[in-house]
Amino acid sequence: MAANALARGGGRVAALFTQVGSMMILTTQTIVSAVRPPYPYGEELVDQFLFVLRLCWFPLLISTFALCLGAPGLQAAGPLQVFGALDRLGGFFVLTAIRWIGPVVTAVVVGGVAGTAITADLGARKIREELDALQVLGVDPIKNLVVPRFLALMVVTALLDIFAIVFGLTAGIAAELLYNQPLGGFFATLFANASVTDLWGSVLMCTLFGAIIAVVCSYKGMTASGGAAGVGRAVNQAVVIALVGVFAFNYVFTAVLLATNPELQQIR
Amino acid sequence: MIGWLDVPRGWLDSFGEIARFGSRVAGLVYSGRALRFFGEVIRQSGILILGSALIIWAFVFILGLQCGLQGAYFFRSQGAPAYAGLFAAFCDLREALPYAFGYILSAKVGTGIVAEIGAMRISDEIDALEVMGVPPITFLCATRLLAAWIVLPFVYLVGIAVMYVASYLAVVEQVADVSSGGYTLIFWMFQDPTDVIFSLIKGMTMATVIVLVGCYYGYTASGGPVGVGTATAKSMVFNIVMVHIVGMLGTVVFWGANPRLPIGG
Repeated sequence: MAANALARGGGRVAALFTQVGSMMILTTQTIVSAVRPPYPYGEELVDQFLFVLRLCWFPLLISTFALCLGAPGLQAAGPLQVFGALDRLGGFFVLTAIRWIGPVVTAVVVGGVAGTAITADLGARKIREELDALQVLGVDPIKNLVVPRFLALMVVTALLDIFAIVFGLTAGIAAELLYNQPLGGFFATLFANASVTDLWGSVLMCTLFGAIIAVVCSYKGMTASGGAAGVGRAVNQAVVIALVGVFAFNYVFTAVLLATNPELQQIR
Repeated sequence: MIGWLDVPRGWLDSFGEIARFGSRVAGLVYSGRALRFFGEVIRQSGILILGSALIIWAFVFILGLQCGLQGAYFFRSQGAPAYAGLFAAFCDLREALPYAFGYILSAKVGTGIVAEIGAMRISDEIDALEVMGVPPITFLCATRLLAAWIVLPFVYLVGIAVMYVASYLAVVEQVADVSSGGYTLIFWMFQDPTDVIFSLIKGMTMATVIVLVGCYYGYTASGGPVGVGTATAKSMVFNIVMVHIVGMLGTVVFWGANPRLPIGG
C-alpha cells in the first residue's frame, strides 16, 4: 500500500519534471525560430497584439483600480492617518503600485484573460487535428502560431504594465481624496521615492511574465488531448501553472532587484 | 476579431443571468435539497481537499514570502526595520491572503468546474440526468457549492498559518534586519481575532462567487469541444474581475471607516 502510494507520487513528480522540461524545450525552439529567417509571422503578430489588448484593457482597468484602492490605498491610509503622515502614501505607492501590484495584476489579468483564450484556441485546433494538417502542409506550427503569440504577449504585457501603474496611482489619488487630503504631499513623496530603476524593473519583469504565460499556455494548448473535456482541462492546468510560475518568478526577481540595487533602500 | 467594447458588453449581458442562476443554486443549498445527494457532497469535498488544498497553500506560501520581502525593504527605506511586522500583518491577513485565495481558486476550482460540467453538457449527460429524474442543478451545482462551503473555510484558516510562516521566513531569516522577538511583537500587536473573521468572510465570499460563476458557465456551455474551452476562458475573465471587486468592497466595508489599530484612543 505504502509502496504503491510512493510509486504513484514518484510517477507524478516524474511527470512534473517532464512537463517543465518540455516547456523549456518549447521556449528554446520558440526563441530560435523567432530570430532565424524567414519571418512569416508579421500579420499574425499584429492580430494577436490587438486581440490581447482588446480583451485585456477593461478587466485590467477595473482590477488595478479596485486592488490599489482597497489594499494599499485605504488599508495603508489608516495607519498613516493615525501617525498624521498621509502625505507618505505617495512613497508607499512606489512600492505597491510600481514595484509589486502593477506587474502582478497585469500578469494575473493577462494570464487569466489572454492566456486562457490562447490555450482554448490552440487546444481546439489540436483536437480538430488542424495542427497536424498544418505540419503535413509544411507549415511549422511553432513559427507560425507560437512565435507571434510569444512576442505579442511579451510586448503587450509590458505595455499594459504602464497602464496598470497609471490606474494604480489614480486609485492612490482617490484614496487621498477620500481622506480629504490635499494632493501636493502625495505627489511630492511619490516623485521623491520613485526611481528609474523601479520603472525598468517593473517593465522588464512584466515582459518576462508575458513570456512565461505565452510558453505555458501555448504548450498546454498544443498538447491538449481527450475530446471535449480535454480542452477545458488544458485551460484549467495552463492557468494554474502560469499563475504559480509568475508568482514564484516574481518573488525571485524582486528579491534580486532589491538586494542588488541598494539605492532603492535609501531614506528619502 | 472582437471589438474594443465587447468584453464589458458581454458582462452586462450575462450578469443578470449569472445572478439568477447563482441565487437559484444557493436557494437549493439553503432549503436543504442538496442534502439529498449528501454522498456526492462528500465526494466533491474530497476532490477539493485532495486536488486543490496543496496548490492553494503553495501559492499562499509564495505570496507570504513576498509580503515579508516587500515589507522588510519598505521599512528599511523608512528607517524603521522593526515595523516590518506591521506591513506583514496587514498584507498577510487583510489583503494578500483573500486575493491569493481568490486567484488560485478561480484558476484551479472555477475553471475545473467549467471544464467538468461543460464536458457533461456537451456529451448530453446533463439531459440524461434529467431523463432519469435526477435534478441536474441540484446534483451538479448545489452539491459543489455545499462542498466548497464545508471545506474551504478550513483550507483558508490553514492558509493563514502557512502565510505567517512564509512572512516570518522572509523577514527574519532572509532579509534579517530585525530579530525574531522584535518582529513577532509588532506582528501580533497589529491583528486580532476579529480581523481573522473579517478576512475569512472576504475569502469565502470570493469562493462562493467563483463556484457559482464556474457552475453557470459550465452549465450553459455549448458548441462542441471548442465551446468548453471558450466557456472556461470566459469564466476566468469574469472571476478575476469579481475577485478584485469583492476584495475592494470587503476592505471598504470592514476596514474603510475604522482601520482597527492598537494606537491612540
